[in-house]
Amino acid sequence: MLRMPRFELLEPTTLEAALSALAERPEKSMVIAGGTDLLPNLKHELFTPERVVSLARIASLRSVRELDQGWLSLGAMLKLEEIAAHETLRRRYPALAQAASLVAGPQLRTMGTLGGNVLLDTRCQWYNQTYFWRQALGFCLKKDGTLCHVVEGGSKCVAAASNDTAPALMTLGAELVIVGPAGQRVVRIDDFWLADGAANKKLDPGEILVEIRLPPTTPGHRGAYGKLRMRDSIDFPLLSVAARVDLDSSGKVSHADLVIGALQARPVRIKKLDSVLAGVQTGGDAWKTAVSQAAELAYRQCHPMPNVPGDHEWRREMVPVYVRHTLESAVRGDGPVHGL
Amino acid sequence: MRILKLQINGDLHELAAPDHWTLLEVLRYSLQLTGSKQGCDKGDCGACTGLVDGKPVLSCLTLAATAQGHEITTIEGLLPAHRRAGGEGADPIQRAFDRCGALQCGFCQPGMMLSARALLSRNAQPTRAEIRSALSGNLCRCTGYTQIFEAVESAVCEQLGVAPKPRAWETPSPESGS
Amino acid sequence: MSAREIHGIGAPFGPAQPGAPENREFALIGKPTAKIDGLAKATGALQYADDIQLPGMLHAKTLRSPHAHARIRSIDVSAALALPGVHAVISGRDLPERYGVIPWTQDETALAVDKVRFIGDPVAAVAAVDEDTANQALRLIKVEYEPLYAYFDPRESLVRHDPVIHEDKKDGNISKHVELVFGDVEGELKASDLVVEDDYTFHGTTHAAIEPHCAVATQAADGLLTVWSSTQITHYVHRALAKVLGLDPARIRVVQPALGGAFGGKSDPFSLEFCVAKLAMITGRPVKMLWTREEVFYAHRGRHPMQLHYRTGVTKDGRIRAVDARILIDGGSYSSFGLVTTYYSGQLLTGPYDFPTYRFHSTRVFTNKPPCGPKRGHGSVQPRFAFEVQLDEVAERLGLDPIELRRRNFQGGHTRTVNGQRITSNGFLKCLEEVERASGWQQRRGKLGRGRGLGIAGSMYISGTNYPVYPNEMPQAGIQIAAERSGRVTVFTGGNDIGQGSNSMVAYIVAEELGLDLAQVRVVAADTDLCPVDLGAYSSRVTFMVGNAAIDAARKLRALIVEAVAAEWKVEQARVRLINGRVIDMQDSARSISSAQALQITEARHDTLGSTGSYNTPKLGGDYRGGTIGASPAYSFTAHVVEVQVCEETGRIRVERCWIAHDCGRALNPMIVAGQMEGSAYMGIAEALLEEHGVNRFGLHAGPSLLDYRIPTAIDTPELAARIVESLDPEGPYGAKEAGEGPLHPSIPAISNAVFDAVGIRLRHLPFTPGKVLEQLRTARAMTQGKQSGQVSRC
Repeated sequence: MLRMPRFELLEPTTLEAALSALAERPEKSMVIAGGTDLLPNLKHELFTPERVVSLARIASLRSVRELDQGWLSLGAMLKLEEIAAHETLRRRYPALAQAASLVAGPQLRTMGTLGGNVLLDTRCQWYNQTYFWRQALGFCLKKDGTLCHVVEGGSKCVAAASNDTAPALMTLGAELVIVGPAGQRVVRIDDFWLADGAANKKLDPGEILVEIRLPPTTPGHRGAYGKLRMRDSIDFPLLSVAARVDLDSSGKVSHADLVIGALQARPVRIKKLDSVLAGVQTGGDAWKTAVSQAAELAYRQCHPMPNVPGDHEWRREMVPVYVRHTLESAVRGDGPVHGL
Repeated sequence: MRILKLQINGDLHELAAPDHWTLLEVLRYSLQLTGSKQGCDKGDCGACTGLVDGKPVLSCLTLAATAQGHEITTIEGLLPAHRRAGGEGADPIQRAFDRCGALQCGFCQPGMMLSARALLSRNAQPTRAEIRSALSGNLCRCTGYTQIFEAVESAVCEQLGVAPKPRAWETPSPESGS
Repeated sequence: MSAREIHGIGAPFGPAQPGAPENREFALIGKPTAKIDGLAKATGALQYADDIQLPGMLHAKTLRSPHAHARIRSIDVSAALALPGVHAVISGRDLPERYGVIPWTQDETALAVDKVRFIGDPVAAVAAVDEDTANQALRLIKVEYEPLYAYFDPRESLVRHDPVIHEDKKDGNISKHVELVFGDVEGELKASDLVVEDDYTFHGTTHAAIEPHCAVATQAADGLLTVWSSTQITHYVHRALAKVLGLDPARIRVVQPALGGAFGGKSDPFSLEFCVAKLAMITGRPVKMLWTREEVFYAHRGRHPMQLHYRTGVTKDGRIRAVDARILIDGGSYSSFGLVTTYYSGQLLTGPYDFPTYRFHSTRVFTNKPPCGPKRGHGSVQPRFAFEVQLDEVAERLGLDPIELRRRNFQGGHTRTVNGQRITSNGFLKCLEEVERASGWQQRRGKLGRGRGLGIAGSMYISGTNYPVYPNEMPQAGIQIAAERSGRVTVFTGGNDIGQGSNSMVAYIVAEELGLDLAQVRVVAADTDLCPVDLGAYSSRVTFMVGNAAIDAARKLRALIVEAVAAEWKVEQARVRLINGRVIDMQDSARSISSAQALQITEARHDTLGSTGSYNTPKLGGDYRGGTIGASPAYSFTAHVVEVQVCEETGRIRVERCWIAHDCGRALNPMIVAGQMEGSAYMGIAEALLEEHGVNRFGLHAGPSLLDYRIPTAIDTPELAARIVESLDPEGPYGAKEAGEGPLHPSIPAISNAVFDAVGIRLRHLPFTPGKVLEQLRTARAMTQGKQSGQVSRC
């Protein structure tokens, strides 16, 4: 059996205890939530922490709370399965519930958490491998080595953000509540990412993501999530599309947003989308044209690389296809989009 | 090394295990509950599926210590639980898998049956699409899944007291015209 | 009775005489009975190799080569040996004796001696108190390598021989070359009304049984060595262990515990079996080695990648005149079964269609990749794919229905192929008819709208090979039966139940013959100390050969019982019938005793009860060098129709349904036969659409995990409809032939042919990835621009 390196496990029951457990040796400690990303990574010796701190026994991290002014707070330890099935979320934040419903397979959604998915380590075919495999290659830029095998001569890691929920949360304008030794900070999820696959998150050792806050949506809010993968279960995304289309009372687009995942270190927001979608009446020919223009816009802005396994040229061709289907599905309200 | 208290198949087990051991390792190597299988090492195949509080999880990606305080069910627990509840023979899902030919090499099937058992506990009459979806985290290399679907459907039919619909190979072909 | 006795196709008892063809009165045979070990599997009680834990057992791990091709300059294990908890370290020099499943091409050693030939080649092994310590010790072994030029492209291995991958091979990097010509191929091609010629590619795929390989060994103080291994051929492991360890085979016991799938991937003797044995001998303690999933991918022995070129000449009414094949086979780093693969790539294509002339030219080369070997449909799935796609193109060019074309070329039953193989029963026409009807072919093909299509393909496969891999005159299958006064009957078989249900098959036959309840029968299998020799689970031989041996043994015991009971009752033997756990007098319904009572009478009149039976093949095969390879006592036949939906936006092919008709001779248990058919079709479809076993530009396996090697989930698998065709083979047990491998073949070409029906492109290069499909659609559109509307099927 593939074994994990030895570590000490702590299971605090309060956030305070968790923080102090981390504070002793922050650089040599890691947080475990559902474990579905961390444990394979430990088995691959991508991390060799001395201490692992589990959040599973901290009850306060599993709540769904209504906040002031229509905001909703989701505990970081809510299971993906709970997010996928949650009636309020499915109604008010469909892209998020749909994204959670397409993570991996049933067992992993039972185990995996929302916070864990947000913090998923970036992925690359040259990185998510055993020590033996990586060593045979002379390692890579992201871990233990100096060369990038995706971009030959590249000096920056391009491992891909492969977390299904992140693009959806970005379209929703989510905020992350992070606590650490210095107290609590709230960061817009858009500002949370770095363009470096080796470390794509602004999260310090010793900090814990405790909560994801969602701003209110209007009754005209529409959203959907699309995921390209070879198998219709288990697989990580080869490409993912979170779409948001807010409609005014007359059915015209008041605001639209598209965020694409599994391309590079951070999820990519499509620029100038409002210029083609804003003000368009959905349902008619103008909408069809606008959707095609949005797809074209995304195609020009997205450049999948051979970082995750699969044909990256095909992945690029799929950008407009998945964008079109996901936008249309958002407005129809019949997402998620997968298995096309 | 720590002392773990694990509630497995109705029994409380106290045992010592290092912190980095998974639930699968404890089940297989400390408790000889070898019905939970190891197929892929790291969460890709579902052969190690067990139930934690009635829900299917991968024991190879569960740290043994974190399973404390939860009700763990392995394949070894199904038959005794069925007997405790006054049943005869094995659990209906086990009998259905046996009856329908779903057990070829049998290696993925403990995990598969636990996923199926969990499905039937929350949805007594699943459609084939729902069965496919619920079992989509358990890879089988022998059957092409067909006889597994038929087994789950057969268990449902048995519960309802109706006959399952005939399988493709059971329908006689019309006499050849030539 | 002799080992080559033909038992007939009928039930042992019935209204007609035993063995009469019209006799269908079976008690068990032909019924969908549960397996004898089904509930043991369902409850998790059955013990697989890694479930074995022995007191004091050590855990072993393998150090593997990080180089694709390199000379080993030195190995220093001293630091590893010095690590507390480490009990032994071995390397190639400790086990230098070569082995290999084919006696003429033994080029493997348990651990690399002087040279490594692919990334993952085993170099050293450690036995330690636990897995963590063993892993730690591996990192302390210092190996100095001198890297050599590595081959990843088989075309290069054909022409470049410096450096050579195996120094002692005469032909540089060529592993095996076969050229066989039957008739005037060139003349017939010239005389043909139409010749279709094209290139085809079959990529590499692997077995991916869910159970990883595992072996456990222990040596008793008196020297007796026992090895439990997840092997599908106990006998060959037994022989190889004796050779490599230099032990008397009579002092080695090999046991196959319950096996978690194999598909050919557990046919070779493997490094881990020798390593655990040697480490147990050194340490005096039991040793286990369980491979990680990654290591299973390196061990491989999966389907050979092939580059194939076919020319088929036909008359204008669609009759084949000549087939000409040229095939380049990528063997990877060792020979394994490769000699046979090279022959099979040509020898197994000569049915179910009549080839008046045929030539094939097959070359297997070595490359520095994980070694290829036998995977379900060994050597014949790749040429079958190419040829069935070419046949479809012939039909298209001639304006013939593809099923009609196949019918016109049907070779018939009880005939001989162009390469001299004897065909007995042949239900292929019935297979075609079944899938044609079930799929609604006549009403639906070509009428499903753009994007949706139906495709057909046929195939043939062997029911066992006529000759064992090492030449000998002894039986290929043996059975022993022990019976005692309680009514319990135990059957001992060397056959390997790898999930296909062979132990159940043996039990059904013995219960049928002796009129027992199935619950009275036990089967002890695949234990070389307890069971007669059997050649194991490969080449779809088990039902045919072990089944015949079981009938043989059971009928000998039955004769004793009938004789004893008839004497006891003072009646004619013909009146004594064994059925359903009882022995009855056919003319006096009042006279009936239990099987146990009958066994008591027999035991009293004879002796302690037992019998043996065996099977060996008749002399078969073509009268030329290699003519016996591909010779089988019977052949199975299959036809598939698949229905696909092609999304022209994504290039994705979705197989929605697959109708599988398979001539298995007689279905001894239709439920098990259907399971084999469904599992085969699923595996073929997966090879076509999802799976690829390849190495990257560094020669490193591209994704050695069940995450990256994508075997289909329950959602990705289409609806599969199995239609069993029974041709009642004259030599099979009750007429049975194989069902475990043949039904894989047609699914792959049938998908290509269905895609042509759906969107008009011919897919000739596997795997059919969506990117490739889109590319071909674009090319096709560019060529027909202006002629057609820009209609595109949307997802």
